[in-house]
Amino acid sequence: MRKYIVVVLVGLCLMLCPAAWSHVGSPDVYYEAMAGPYKMFVTVRTPQMIPGIAQIEVRCLEGSVDDIEIVPLRVIGEGSKTAPPPDHMSPSEADPQFFTGKLWLMESGSWQVRMDVSGLQGKAQLAVPVPAYARRTLGMQKTTGIVLACLMVFLTLSLISIFGAAARESQLEPGVEISPARRSRARIAMVVAAVAVVAILLLGDMWWTSIATANASDKVYKAPPVEVSMVDGSQLVLKMGASPWHERRKQMQLDNIIPDHGHLMHLFLVRMPDMDEFYHLHPDETATRTFTEKMPVVAGGSYAVFADIVRESGFPDTMTSKIDLPAGNKGTSLAGDDSSTVAPKISALQGNVTTSPLGPDDHVEWVLDSATTQAQKASLLRFRVMDKNGAPANDLEPYMGMAGHLVILRRDLSVFSHVHPAGSVPMAALMLLQQPNTSGTDAMANMQHDATTNELTFPYGFPRAGDYRLFLQVKRGGRVQTAVFDTHVAP
Amino acid sequence: MANASIAIGSRPHAKGAIPWYVWASALAVTSTSVGLYWDISWHMSIGRDTFWTPAHLGIHFGAIVAGISSVFLILSTTFGKKHELRATSVKMWGFYGPLGAFVSLWGGLAMLTSAPFDDWWHNAFGLDVQIMSPPHVVLILGIFTLGLGGLFLIVSEMNRADAETRAKLNRVFLYAGCMLTILLLMLIYEYTDYTLTHSAIFYRVLALAMPPVLVGIARASGYRWAATKVAGIYFVLWLLALWLVPLVPAQAKLGPVYTPISHLVPLEFPVLLFAGAAALDFLLDRLAGRNKWLQAAVAGVGFLLVMMAVEWPAGSFLVSHLAENRFFGTDYYPYMQRPSDYHFDHELWAYEKTRADFWLGMTFAFGAAIVTTRIGLAWGDWMRRVRR
Repeated sequence: MRKYIVVVLVGLCLMLCPAAWSHVGSPDVYYEAMAGPYKMFVTVRTPQMIPGIAQIEVRCLEGSVDDIEIVPLRVIGEGSKTAPPPDHMSPSEADPQFFTGKLWLMESGSWQVRMDVSGLQGKAQLAVPVPAYARRTLGMQKTTGIVLACLMVFLTLSLISIFGAAARESQLEPGVEISPARRSRARIAMVVAAVAVVAILLLGDMWWTSIATANASDKVYKAPPVEVSMVDGSQLVLKMGASPWHERRKQMQLDNIIPDHGHLMHLFLVRMPDMDEFYHLHPDETATRTFTEKMPVVAGGSYAVFADIVRESGFPDTMTSKIDLPAGNKGTSLAGDDSSTVAPKISALQGNVTTSPLGPDDHVEWVLDSATTQAQKASLLRFRVMDKNGAPANDLEPYMGMAGHLVILRRDLSVFSHVHPAGSVPMAALMLLQQPNTSGTDAMANMQHDATTNELTFPYGFPRAGDYRLFLQVKRGGRVQTAVFDTHVAP
Repeated sequence: MANASIAIGSRPHAKGAIPWYVWASALAVTSTSVGLYWDISWHMSIGRDTFWTPAHLGIHFGAIVAGISSVFLILSTTFGKKHELRATSVKMWGFYGPLGAFVSLWGGLAMLTSAPFDDWWHNAFGLDVQIMSPPHVVLILGIFTLGLGGLFLIVSEMNRADAETRAKLNRVFLYAGCMLTILLLMLIYEYTDYTLTHSAIFYRVLALAMPPVLVGIARASGYRWAATKVAGIYFVLWLLALWLVPLVPAQAKLGPVYTPISHLVPLEFPVLLFAGAAALDFLLDRLAGRNKWLQAAVAGVGFLLVMMAVEWPAGSFLVSHLAENRFFGTDYYPYMQRPSDYHFDHELWAYEKTRADFWLGMTFAFGAAIVTTRIGLAWGDWMRRVRR
């Protein structure tokens, strides 16, 4: 049996990475990691429909790479061991360390793109987890529609004429002239054919519509519904509903939820519309598919809810909801890994905010350039934590095993991303790739790592133009601190 | 004005010779049939495809051959100097040509229409791995019409030919009819799986699809045991494919690869259609001259009873381990089939969930067999009268 040894040598940032990879409106995968001696920045642009083609870009940041072979595999279970023959990525003529390639993703679920890298420093391997799911069906382009409509009209008219010719002349002996009776018969045949063809086209249209509707319903991903309520003024209860999309894909191991860095769920509450209150909580599963969190005292208002979970195959889900929370609830103090912050009202801000206070005295700088805030542009979001004297703050501690969390929200909530220094890859899936026998366990529980630098980078690409708010969370002196940034992303 | 001398003198080819366009239509339908078989096998074995796979080229080569030969035939008849060619032609939109040429051309155009339709469908809903999607139906309709056009071309020649030439043409006609039968069997392939032989759906689909073609071709041929010969040729060719196709090396090029592939995966063991076809031939021969509905009722029911008599035990055998060999080929699995699903290939599947559903389905199947046999008789009689 072929045995694939997935050697994923990741750097400091990757080792610090946590838990859930989360997504709403941000389907592409951004990943920075070490493949042996090569530092790679990988972007996987997933197809809108499955089966479909994923576009893959790789930039080698350290080392000299000659060739990259890519294959698609499942993360765990059947299909995770046997690969099709690899595709070679193409180097750019302008930049020989920039490679592009594409792969078919044939089923929705948790995939990996396995890369075999060779270059001056030898051979290495990298596995990039990629969640695949259909996002939407596409309408027909106007030109295609016109061409097909013209062809349909032509084929319809010509078919009716063929029926007419068949009834009129096809059975006449050679040279025999057409009788009036045959001409009448031909007209009747054409009328009958016209009615039949129109009926068939109408039936075909009904069939087409039903298939298109079924495809949209069956294939397009829908996160499980979640019902959020406040009980006794102190407990937030989240009840997950049934998800037909997941139930239809039981073979893809999309059912059971695995703990992700000690937590089955990562819950984010953001007060709307000003995004001025932010909570990062970790409810416990108190009954099947029911999660409960003892709430701190919260500011009253309408909150957007984002709940991240990871399935046993490494497939992430972000469930969304809303809840109105009353002011002055019976709250408890934040404990464990739970954290919160108060931010300026986004509606009162003008332009980019690239410096944010951190704690009582310090601050964080976002090192921005024009390419960073361009839609669909893969780049490193770079932040520097500075102390009150303007010197680098070197007292960062791991927060849930990593140097930092970054939550990215589009102002209209159409984009929600929870990324980490390794990028937007589903980290639990990555852990499954490294320890394939730990399915169903908290594979990352022992992945604690010290944070040793004041600079944090997050590989990411804003999916769409628009106004975004970023919440950067780090841990210092045993306390979680949150910096808040705003930016406008250009098309 | 009717003129017998024109009728005889208008034949554009020498006595006893088979005209070039008959061979062209036979080539077209062969290329398309082989291409379609290859394409299904390609999707089960290799997966990744483009428009330029050999299988697709085979399918569209058939369309091109049929299209070009039809256009040439129509244009040469319409604008050529041999005006006598028009005597064996029908007229449509100012153009002259044999009916079969117009039908073949229509089929080719429908096939070409399916290409942008299918391309858009893949973009909209993802690469489909099913046979029955709207653009595929347009393609299959085009292919089938192309084959029908070929049959009309041949049968019109047959109906004007002397006995010696007719006998030669009949062989081509039966061959083209066989290709049409194979096309139809590929269309209904998903419902004629041997694991369904104890379900009514298997017989319903056979009853709907097969009698019209087999009876129509046999009737138009006018020769004894014509349907049996058509079904026999299909059985032999399909069996040869089952044995030979796995000799072609192949490798799955799409992941996940659930079943490693080292050679092309063939389509399953053929349907024992020759038995049902023999029943049709025998019963229709014995009932010749009787009421058409009586013929249809007896032959249709007979066809289905015989098919049940042979397919029911054949299905039981094919799901057994005795059939897991190269001869019966039930141990070939496509690359996308999970090993944990192999057992489905070795179990009879109850498509209908209740006994009542089964008998309802069988009742429908017998009714359909009668009606479709009657349609076959009417179509065959119509083809016997085609002269142009």
